[in-house]
Amino acid sequence: MTRVALVPGCLALLPEYASLEDPVHDLRAACLAAVAWLGEDVRVVAGAQGARVATALLAEVGTAPVDSGEAAYLIVGNGSARRSEKAPGHLDPRAAGFDDVLGKALATPDPEALGALDLQLADELWADVGPIVEAAELLRGVTTVAVDYEDDPYGVRYWVARWADR
Amino acid sequence: MLRLGRHDFGDDDALMMAIVNRTPDSFFDKGATWAEDAAFERVRLVASQGAEIVDIGGIKAAPGAEIDAAEEKARVVDFVARVREEFPALVISVDTWRAEVGDAVCAAGADLINDAWGGADPELVDVAAAHGAAIVCTHTGGVTPRTRPYRIEYDDVVRAAIDDTLGYAQRALDAGVAKDSIVIDPAHDFGKNTFHSLEITRRLGEMVATGWPVLVSLSNKDFVGETLDLPVGERLLGTLAATTVCAMAGARIYRVHQVPETRQTVDMARTIAGRRLPARAIRGLQ
Repeated sequence: MTRVALVPGCLALLPEYASLEDPVHDLRAACLAAVAWLGEDVRVVAGAQGARVATALLAEVGTAPVDSGEAAYLIVGNGSARRSEKAPGHLDPRAAGFDDVLGKALATPDPEALGALDLQLADELWADVGPIVEAAELLRGVTTVAVDYEDDPYGVRYWVARWADR
Repeated sequence: MLRLGRHDFGDDDALMMAIVNRTPDSFFDKGATWAEDAAFERVRLVASQGAEIVDIGGIKAAPGAEIDAAEEKARVVDFVARVREEFPALVISVDTWRAEVGDAVCAAGADLINDAWGGADPELVDVAAAHGAAIVCTHTGGVTPRTRPYRIEYDDVVRAAIDDTLGYAQRALDAGVAKDSIVIDPAHDFGKNTFHSLEITRRLGEMVATGWPVLVSLSNKDFVGETLDLPVGERLLGTLAATTVCAMAGARIYRVHQVPETRQTVDMARTIAGRRLPARAIRGLQ
């Protein structure tokens, strides 16, 4: 059985950036539950920072990334960081539309739409979708188990989602 | 672990000890909490501000009218019992050098004896041991209680403070006070001129390095006033600057008049020093 999960590359998830009060409490809970659901052998599809987030989350549930063999997949990516005036990249009016398309494609899932994401626009919108595009084919033939988290508490669109084949 | 009577604290906790004077003549509040109800209001206020400890004193530190043990007890013992009753979560400290007074306040519910006068009464450690209370061991250079320093000099004031407070701590241990119930205090301004207190502040890390929890009592003192040429009442910023230095060095207990201001200062400094996490950091980490 193939299991695939998506978490955002939010650096506040890293233990070295812990606060007394967790600013991403709900997101973290969803991420950890999704990562635990993947099982022990997990391959990571992520950029360099995203890989650190993935490794930290996997460590939290007592495992570590593998790079070969049969495994589940953990994708690290997120939507635009330009969703509001307080967002890291300030407001870009195109962000909401871009994220809506991305969100629907993830929820369906729609590998064609994910593979065809406009990387130039994503770059302008500070959306970290490279790993999602790279992993789009993994979502062919799977169904969505759940979109566990879908919010933008700090102006960045996050999803935590899980997919599996039969 | 730090055990103050009925209350346990972790090794990473920084504690606010709020001064509550049952005196008509202390230098900072000038009798504002002399009346029992006013003193009790002060306890209520500092408790609401998050102070972990109240330090109740019945005699001002500076020279003045003679207050015998009976009068000192009349000022503090029943008051301690009242605070114990209404604020069971507060650590109750009593600022006294007298064993007789220490015995009575511990029986009334005090957790900690804050002996600002460096063990002038040798039986105070026995009282702390008998009641399972904690004790603050201060350095005063051997001066008589309620006297001002006059031409005191040290070869090395920090060495003297460490040697004397550790000697006092050993006496407390020998008397049976628990090891995790002993606190040391260099006692700024006590037996010290301003240069001494500044050096103690600058080199506080050497006291922290002894491994004993360090209390600092900086609040609005003369060494701040003389450093900045400011009267009592205008020394808060200087106090907080000194507090920052002590917090960076690792002081654990802060005896203060102004609780929220000191708490913010200590939290900020300890977080800079890597001893505390930020309250809630998300900037740039989304």
